[in-house]
Amino acid sequence: MNATVRQFRDFFVSLRLTVVLLGLSIILIFAATLDQVNLGVWAVQQKYFQTFFVLWKFGEVPVPIFPGGYFVGGLLFVNLIAAHVYRFKLTWRKAGIFLTHLGVILLLLGELFSGLMQEEYNMRIEEGETKNYAESYQFYELAITDTTDPKFDDVVVIPKELLEKGAAIQHPKLPFRVVPKAFFSNINLGRRSDEPTAPPSPATTGFGPNFVATPIAFNYKPDALNIPAAYVELAGPEGTLGTWLTVYIPPQMMTMPPQTFSTPDGHTWKIALRPQRAYKPYALTLLKFSHDVYAGTDIPKNFSSRIRLATPDGRDDHEVLIYMNNPLRYAGLTFFQSGYDGDHTTVLQVVRNPGWVLPYIACILMAVGLVVQFGIHLTGFFRKRRAAAVPAAA
Amino acid sequence: MFPRSFRLFLLALPLVFVACREAKVASYRVPKEKDPEMTPVAATTADSTPPAVGPFMQAAGAGGGMAATPVATASGPGLGWTAPAHWVAKTASAMRKATYAVPGNGAGADGDFSVTAFPSDVGGELANVNRWRGQVKQEPLTEADLAKAVTRIEQNGLRIAYVDVGGGDGPTARMLGAIVPYAGSTWFFKLGPASSALIAREKPAFEEFLKSLKPAASP
Repeated sequence: MNATVRQFRDFFVSLRLTVVLLGLSIILIFAATLDQVNLGVWAVQQKYFQTFFVLWKFGEVPVPIFPGGYFVGGLLFVNLIAAHVYRFKLTWRKAGIFLTHLGVILLLLGELFSGLMQEEYNMRIEEGETKNYAESYQFYELAITDTTDPKFDDVVVIPKELLEKGAAIQHPKLPFRVVPKAFFSNINLGRRSDEPTAPPSPATTGFGPNFVATPIAFNYKPDALNIPAAYVELAGPEGTLGTWLTVYIPPQMMTMPPQTFSTPDGHTWKIALRPQRAYKPYALTLLKFSHDVYAGTDIPKNFSSRIRLATPDGRDDHEVLIYMNNPLRYAGLTFFQSGYDGDHTTVLQVVRNPGWVLPYIACILMAVGLVVQFGIHLTGFFRKRRAAAVPAAA
Repeated sequence: MFPRSFRLFLLALPLVFVACREAKVASYRVPKEKDPEMTPVAATTADSTPPAVGPFMQAAGAGGGMAATPVATASGPGLGWTAPAHWVAKTASAMRKATYAVPGNGAGADGDFSVTAFPSDVGGELANVNRWRGQVKQEPLTEADLAKAVTRIEQNGLRIAYVDVGGGDGPTARMLGAIVPYAGSTWFFKLGPASSALIAREKPAFEEFLKSLKPAASP
């Protein structure tokens, strides 16, 4: 074995590396827990754990300042595997240790799968309403919809990252270019009539000119409301079609009027900023929503949604009752009863987590491993005592 | 164990994998949607009861329990009032500044009176009045109609816009609502939707309530 390969091997199988990585994990988790007060749980997961490095912004330049969850977890994973491969000896005496470490490996893999593949959306459905899409909690998109066809909507969606970049977007389904002028993650929206001294709006059409959108700091607190907004210009071959202010305000707060326009080719369009949507090949209809509160309070005691789930081809068409700890599992998704809005609107949390079962298996393996290992030592201990007692008795 | 440069190289290796989620423009065709933006009627009891989430729900999801749809209520200076004696105060929640149960007493089920406040102007009078109209199955108004529908009260330095919407039969046919801009926030006072009989009976009490509104700090 040449020197370089040996160096690699020694590095990855070393117990010192394990200890360093565990130490780094402790610091990482501690810092993330403290920072959760400022950032909330979503942002903390992304900043500290679902990343190779924790980045710190010096001005506009992000600089890595600490290894992130993927880095520490990834190295720990490699370290664990390498150490086992290197030191592996098939013996019953170490069966418990193998099982425990297999559990740890599965736990790390489960976290990786969850981080990479988990999707978390929500569905807000009113009684009698049918929905075939879920909405993101945290990502937004600009939807430009061709509403000309009486039966269908042709939608082009532009994720907020592209709105932030600001580069002009030309899509084959749009007879105009989309030029993002500005994106704000949170604004204060006021009426222009109430703020006559406000600077003129960049918006030239739609409801934008009547409003004053003042950018404010993004509020990371879990119960905070942020109102994202974007100024977007649409530029046709014969010149600009105007600049719109697009704003997303949650429907439970208020409804903004739709912004529509038409192009010279006779098509009618709608432009709106909205939470990113994930369309499904089936639809949910809320038949009945029920909820009780604890007497004398507004604290929810229980709530349930009677849902009809139907696919367009009629293959699936059945009713289900979703309530606390009794989610609907369908097509790889889990629909939890997560909240409500008034007496007739349900809020379901929609989660896809293909790795959800791994932590359970991992915990069972680790528990069994520890019991086995302890049992092996205990029987060995008893055997030694008995062996020592026999000569003494003799 | 081995040269420092080698260790540094190994530790820097994951930088190669640092990449952002690639954002792409997408397009698709969907059956014509009744967009909530085009149907303010669909907004239900939006201002008064944002999604409530019990603390126990956090544990329900094996895949993570961030179930709370974020909703902010206005903070800062508040309003004070005197409620009619027969309205029963209920515990205020994080989302509501106050809640009262208005006894039905033969005029159908108990009515719900709520006080909420949100930052900024929350879309303005027209959008909110139309949303309320939607809740009692009324067509939206135009800006020109709004002036006729709104009663304006100037009280203790507050500009109160007050509407009585709906009517007819049914347990949720009519409601009273008032919008009060104050200190950068908008306060909403809402009774109903409830039966027309209950609203008609409680209308004088509701108006008395509005007349009692004042900035909380003032004597």
